[in-house]
Amino acid sequence: MENHYKELSYDVLVVGGGIAGGEAALNLANIGYKVIIVEKELSIGGKMILLSKVFPTLDCAACITTPKISEIDRHSNISIFTSSEITKIEKKAEYEFVAIIHQKPRYVHIEDCTGCQLCEEACPVNVEDQYQYGLVGRKAAYIPFSIASPRVAAIDIENCTLCGACERACPTSCIDFTQTDEYFRLKVNSVIVATGFKLFDPLKIPRYGFDRFKNVITSMQMERQLAPTRPYNTILRPGDGKMPDNIAYVLCTGSRDKSVGNPICSQVCCMYSIKQAQLLMGALPMADITIYYLHIRAFGKGFNEFYGQAQEMGVEFVKGKVAKIKSADNGNLFLRYEDFEDGIVKEAEHDMVVLSVGILPNMGIDDVFDGEDLNLDEFNFIQQSDPLASPAKTSIEGVFVAGTASGPMDIPDSILSSGAASAEATSYLRRIKS
Amino acid sequence: MAKINPDFTKELSKYGAFDPNACYNCGHCTAVCSLSDEQNSFPRKMVRFSVLGLENEIQESLDPWLCYYCGECTATCPREADPGELMMSLRRYLTVKYDWTGLSGLLYRYIGVTLSAFILLALIVVGVGASLNFDLHKIMQYGHLFEMFAIGTVFLLILCPNVLHMWWLTVYKSDAKPKIKNYFKSFSDLIVHMFTQKRALSCDDNKFRWLEHLILVFSYLLLLFTTVFLNWFETNNVLIIFIGYIESIFIFLITFDFVRRRVKKDAEISTHSQPSDWFFVIWLLLMGLTAILVRLAIDFHFIDTFSWLYYLHLIVLVQWALIIVPFGKWTHFLYRSFAIYFQKVINT
Repeated sequence: MENHYKELSYDVLVVGGGIAGGEAALNLANIGYKVIIVEKELSIGGKMILLSKVFPTLDCAACITTPKISEIDRHSNISIFTSSEITKIEKKAEYEFVAIIHQKPRYVHIEDCTGCQLCEEACPVNVEDQYQYGLVGRKAAYIPFSIASPRVAAIDIENCTLCGACERACPTSCIDFTQTDEYFRLKVNSVIVATGFKLFDPLKIPRYGFDRFKNVITSMQMERQLAPTRPYNTILRPGDGKMPDNIAYVLCTGSRDKSVGNPICSQVCCMYSIKQAQLLMGALPMADITIYYLHIRAFGKGFNEFYGQAQEMGVEFVKGKVAKIKSADNGNLFLRYEDFEDGIVKEAEHDMVVLSVGILPNMGIDDVFDGEDLNLDEFNFIQQSDPLASPAKTSIEGVFVAGTASGPMDIPDSILSSGAASAEATSYLRRIKS
Repeated sequence: MAKINPDFTKELSKYGAFDPNACYNCGHCTAVCSLSDEQNSFPRKMVRFSVLGLENEIQESLDPWLCYYCGECTATCPREADPGELMMSLRRYLTVKYDWTGLSGLLYRYIGVTLSAFILLALIVVGVGASLNFDLHKIMQYGHLFEMFAIGTVFLLILCPNVLHMWWLTVYKSDAKPKIKNYFKSFSDLIVHMFTQKRALSCDDNKFRWLEHLILVFSYLLLLFTTVFLNWFETNNVLIIFIGYIESIFIFLITFDFVRRRVKKDAEISTHSQPSDWFFVIWLLLMGLTAILVRLAIDFHFIDTFSWLYYLHLIVLVQWALIIVPFGKWTHFLYRSFAIYFQKVINT
């Protein structure tokens, strides 16, 4: 096994190719360091590349992300490993880390694929599209999403029937079913952990009826419906394809809730829900939007004004945590909550419900470290050695953290934290020579 | 103008567990409760009253009795504030407040007083037995007389005034001035709810607990009737003897299950047990058990050698009738059904 490792050597390893990892890699590459990004998905860009617009400026998320990732992609100092995971990181000495990368086969030669999508047309297998959060289907031979980087095909081998149709359709013969798992032994001087977050799974709150009631969707599904690369080209409720005109948002779904094991605030749900409400009012001018909230946390620059703007646009804000959702025969939903203003239980009817799901830690990266321990905080995010004075440092010298791997935060804060991590890494690397 | 009393939560903590600082007023408990409706939205209102220490508002409210403690609010509370147990604690608190004698307060708050009272009554029973030279036949007659006397006295002197007190606090003092005819129109609700606890059926996943409770209530009331009015221990009527056996076996089996659940703490409702809860279920269990044993001893003619069985039964009975029934948890039988009745009277 040892002999099968291919040897690699870089200055910095960045684990995670989302907006935080990408930003940190770019900062380091621009000052001359050789950087390797290891990303477990088929494309870099993380969650931000899938979003519609960003708050509070309503800038297009893809318009910020795509130039950035193409810069990362073409940068001579950056190498990108997609569909790859780090299985082990060992600190041999100061400035001396050895990591093992496991690259899963994509069954497509990246350098040969032109992204023509003929394999997609040929493939007979339909499965749920994970990058559209299950709103539509995709093929087993597919390009992850239209603005993916690299924008090349991949074979979903778990669902593939090995019929060979894609192979025959491919004009450049880049599909190769003989690809196997590859392992790399990587030597680096420093590591940046930018493993991001995962979204709360609303199935853990059966009272909300997610999956049982088709017109209850997550905020990420709504984000996809609002994005420029949206699957339906309009807003539809999935149950029957009706255009909704009375949408409810349930805030704090899986956040600030000890009963589901996540007592902390996710910091972004209030604002992204307010943002989506404003976008919906643009997309569906006749629709009513109601946001059920506990407390609106609009703490960032321009956030409170953005909240005020939503109120002025006519978004209704109701204080009260929704406890149960019931479905009517026509697919409409009844939300049961206690109206805080008059202290009475009420039931409100809406034709579509969006669960504003919270941010949870992406677990597992601490297990990868061998020898020295990467400490986690009590909520399983990576512990910052001093959240005030050195927010990018971790319990291991030479290992830095960027973005939501250290806790819930919004995009501006993620990018700031990537700046901090890349500056700390630079300062660490400069000490090698002295 | 209501006066805030931040020390009230300390007072309330003597009646059970509750974290007053945990609640962030999201209203989830009220919205998740299947018994909560537009007329009576609880438990969050009660949480607010408790945190603010609005004792008058609490004493004037019927809401604590309208909750049947399915535990859903506690299980799903985002702050683990335990609103279900707060409602239970308020029921204990109200039991104390309704009692005009003040003895409930001593028993609920001081375990030492409770134990002393239990021991004292046991000694009195033994003392009376000694003064009758432990003549079993005579003592059984006295025991039977005691039952009738205790039922009448406790009913007239303690339970009736306490229910009147409850009425005075919750109906008379409230703004609602119900018409007299409402009392007659709603009377059937009182009877139905007193004997069937029908309301508890609306709680989620509660059917088995409801059935057990129903059988227990009927077995208890029938056993009371069988021993007091049909003189179960001294009768020779085979049918009465048989019915008595069935009733006391049911009491024993169901209370055994209740005790088992409180020990195992397998459901939200059985997680927090106060001394008043333990005394209630254990004494009911002992009543069922000793009643069976005494009647068995009579039927198989070993009562003269095992006469202490009857003394044990009598001690349990006296403690039950003079402590738990008037001042302890037994009273929920009345307060719950009267709360629904008063609610109906006010709202009709």
